[in-house]
Amino acid sequence: MNRKFGVVAAATAALLVLGGCASTDTPAADEGGKDITLWLMGGDTPDTLRDYLKTEYAEATGGTLTIEQQDWADALSKLTTALPDAENTPDVVEIGNTWSPTFTNVGAFSDISDIHDELGGDKLLPSFVEVGKVDGANYAEPYYFGSRYIFYRKDIWAAAGLSVPTTLEEFNESVATLKAAGQSGFYIGGEDWRNGVSWIFANGGDLAKKDGDTWKSSLSDPKTIEGLEQLQSVFTDASLAPVTEADSTPWVNINNNAATGAPEAATIIAPGWAHWSIGDLAPDPKDATKTVATWNDDVFGVFVLPGVDGGAAPVFAGGSNIAISAASKNQSASKELLKIIFSKEYQTMLGENGLGPANLDYASALGDDQFATALIASAADSKLTPAAQGWAAVEGSGLLEEFFGKVNGGGDIEALAAEYDAKIDELING
Amino acid sequence: MRFRKPLLSALAIVIALVWVFPVYWMVSSSFIPTIQLQSFIPTFFPAPATVSNYVGTVADGSFFTALGMSLAITLTVVFFCLIFAFLASVAISRFRFRGRTSFVIAVLVVQMLPAEGLFIAQYKMVSSVGLLDSVIGVSIIYIASVVPFTIWMLRGFVAGVPADLEEAAMVDGLSRFGAFMRITFPLLAPGLVASGVYAFLQAWNEFTVALVLLPSESAHTLPLWLRGFVQASATKETDWGQVMAASTLVAVPVIIFFLIVQGRLTSGLVSGAVKG
Amino acid sequence: MSAITSETARRRKVRAPYFLLIPAIAILLLGMGYPVVWQIVTSLQQYGLAQQFGKPAPFVGIDNYVELAGNADLWWVVLRSLLFCVVTAFLTLAIGSLLALLMAAVNKAARLILQIGLLLAWAMPVVAAMTVWIWLFDRRRGVVNYLLDMIPGVEMNRFDWLAQPSTFFIVASIIVIWMSVPFVAFSIYAGLTQVSDEVLEAAQLDGATGWQRFWFIIAPMIRPVIAIVLLLQLIWDLRVFTQITMLKDAGSKSGDFDLLGTYIYKLGTSSQDFGMASAVSILVLALTIALSWFYIRSLLKEDAQ
Repeated sequence: MNRKFGVVAAATAALLVLGGCASTDTPAADEGGKDITLWLMGGDTPDTLRDYLKTEYAEATGGTLTIEQQDWADALSKLTTALPDAENTPDVVEIGNTWSPTFTNVGAFSDISDIHDELGGDKLLPSFVEVGKVDGANYAEPYYFGSRYIFYRKDIWAAAGLSVPTTLEEFNESVATLKAAGQSGFYIGGEDWRNGVSWIFANGGDLAKKDGDTWKSSLSDPKTIEGLEQLQSVFTDASLAPVTEADSTPWVNINNNAATGAPEAATIIAPGWAHWSIGDLAPDPKDATKTVATWNDDVFGVFVLPGVDGGAAPVFAGGSNIAISAASKNQSASKELLKIIFSKEYQTMLGENGLGPANLDYASALGDDQFATALIASAADSKLTPAAQGWAAVEGSGLLEEFFGKVNGGGDIEALAAEYDAKIDELING
Repeated sequence: MRFRKPLLSALAIVIALVWVFPVYWMVSSSFIPTIQLQSFIPTFFPAPATVSNYVGTVADGSFFTALGMSLAITLTVVFFCLIFAFLASVAISRFRFRGRTSFVIAVLVVQMLPAEGLFIAQYKMVSSVGLLDSVIGVSIIYIASVVPFTIWMLRGFVAGVPADLEEAAMVDGLSRFGAFMRITFPLLAPGLVASGVYAFLQAWNEFTVALVLLPSESAHTLPLWLRGFVQASATKETDWGQVMAASTLVAVPVIIFFLIVQGRLTSGLVSGAVKG
Repeated sequence: MSAITSETARRRKVRAPYFLLIPAIAILLLGMGYPVVWQIVTSLQQYGLAQQFGKPAPFVGIDNYVELAGNADLWWVVLRSLLFCVVTAFLTLAIGSLLALLMAAVNKAARLILQIGLLLAWAMPVVAAMTVWIWLFDRRRGVVNYLLDMIPGVEMNRFDWLAQPSTFFIVASIIVIWMSVPFVAFSIYAGLTQVSDEVLEAAQLDGATGWQRFWFIIAPMIRPVIAIVLLLQLIWDLRVFTQITMLKDAGSKSGDFDLLGTYIYKLGTSSQDFGMASAVSILVLALTIALSWFYIRSLLKEDAQ
């Protein structure tokens, strides 16, 4: 008995002491170290760019840059534990744009307003700058942007006598007629909110609106409901995707299915980089065990999802921000790395590799082929998720997937919207 | 009745084959080029077989680093866990003492806490003493999580061996300790092997704790290394052939370990104890 | 002289168990002490991402518990988890016991083959196993649909196993049973080997039938092993996490497919409400204690004897 008490007391004492050790209200003192670590999310940044950063950094500061790649799925636990820990935090970290508001508001990043202009100032993609700002100070800057647009089978559309739609309604109707047994007119998963939200945005709706100082989920907004109704019809009339599917590997559906010789879908919506995986499939001449897709202009085509009144519909902007960890002991060295990232050379390299550069002056580096044109056109009006403090929690909770899944499953949109507005409101303000 | 044994043996073999099918699928697929795996028609047998998936997975050497890390941690965990748990299970099964029931219940209860919520505290604890990215840091957590269960396993086995056997040997002149080592300990061998294999598997395959406590790529264990293959990046789909090859590589050491110890699992030692 | 010897002998005997326990207690305190206390304390606080970055955590007493008591979604998850856990654990135990008996009844070669087969299944890394199983049940490329479709009259082409909770959990159960049976079979078999052949032979000579030998000699001897193994299966199946997570990744993110493990992960890591996640963890602890009460009670009775 006594022994147990002693144990619990000791453990509690240890807890309090260790708890105290972890607090980081004040920014870490810059110890002037030169060896820094950069965390990149996923494999988006190609190896050539990573090598460039390492070489340039060594030249500029004499220190070593270590790049560690994190998987998107596991990143949250690692960010949550490592960022506050001054001994082990990454110095510079790529952060998804939907997570930026949450981590910025919580104090994870250093104030870099002093170098904001040097990094590009007004030329940086404004919406991404906004989600990295708190009280007028810059914390997280844009790293790269992506976008999503429509890939379609020219052969199938031509056979049905359809031409590229110019309004959203035309699009909705066209894909509905294209639906056939075993082939979706337009493939979209029921729980795929990142793509489905385009219909909401196109009709002027939004996922959440700021009311004074608080964010409120706006699924019940009449314009949002209108968008959802359209999406529900499109899903029912044009898509054969399971109602439980979210967005992933969309190109599988538009390439020819090896077994049947026909594709699963006549049309898909996908992020720009998907075009590398779309085309005629053949074994890689360099490595017979791998497939290579070669784009075929006669069979495949792209266009931007049209808006309600023509032009481009606002789609969900992909991409990441980049920031310096507030707990890092190498603040000045980290700023040096940021300067390299925002340099003309690096920004151009991003563009050349299909990643929209943060500095819009260099967007021309994307090229002028149909993919670059579509990327720029769809990105111009693209929208981000609400810059609310609790947005990362909303995404993590799976409420959006649930909601969209039930809507596309044929549910009562207004009732569902009210239900999920309440649930999201609990999380959205952090 | 004469046909009973052969019939049952045949049944055992059929069940073994059915049970092993997913493992067969993994190994077979590891020898099939990814391009073929992606087709909508399943391939049941690797012909023509290729080792390109294996080459691809070990090419950059990260497999060997991860293998070293996993081996170091796992062997440490199995070694200490078996010793600590064995001593504790002897204590609670062969002695009566104050606090015995409390200890037994505490050990049982401590492993009922879900692990998903503990990683923050575990990280704080390990990083505050500078043991992130180290074998020791992770091993301590693993040993602590496997010991309760192992105590339980061994307690059951020790309890299954009647104390009378020891008493009989002591009457014959052996000390308490000697009787224990000559009579009871051999009977525990199957239990020790089962617990050892379990501890090995737990440590070998563990992912969630390793993810946060071993943040640097150079300190990754095999499950973290394997995870890297399963995650599709934004620009390329998962290479399933490589995933299967990597998975097979991760599974092989465990199989070797078992093959080494499986002899002890079967036991004709019981007869030995009674006769002797 | 002999009085003093037995006095010291008794005192020495009583001290021995404590020494034997020291290593285990030390490692448990070291590895689990702080995290467990942290979990309890955090469940009484409002602890979110801000607290990770230094903001103090307000102490809210049992507010988290009150909130979760009123959360209907959580109770559906609890119900689902209990159902899944009980069904899966008992099926695992039944199949594992039968396989153990089979192992004991066959010749050495067959036994070895069966053991190696089970071991290979047990040794397979969970990530790899899940990948293969998800692949096997894939609606378009899966072997299961392919084979079932070949049965005349059964239309399984493109059947999505992961679309409905009912079929989703059937798949999950099959996978968990497949992964858990080897351990159960080996443990029970190891227990069976401890049953003395001599005693069984003597009983057979005395005229006891196979069934009687099983029920009166074997079963009582392996009861402790079965009890422990059942208990452990219940504990583990209630907390099952990796398998459900990976199935959800392949299927739906909706909360309708959550069990307690993924629910806690969702609350904690994904939604950063660590205070609430801790409270739910403590709830799961309480549930598990309740489930294993049958065993704890028998322990306490045993001790009182």
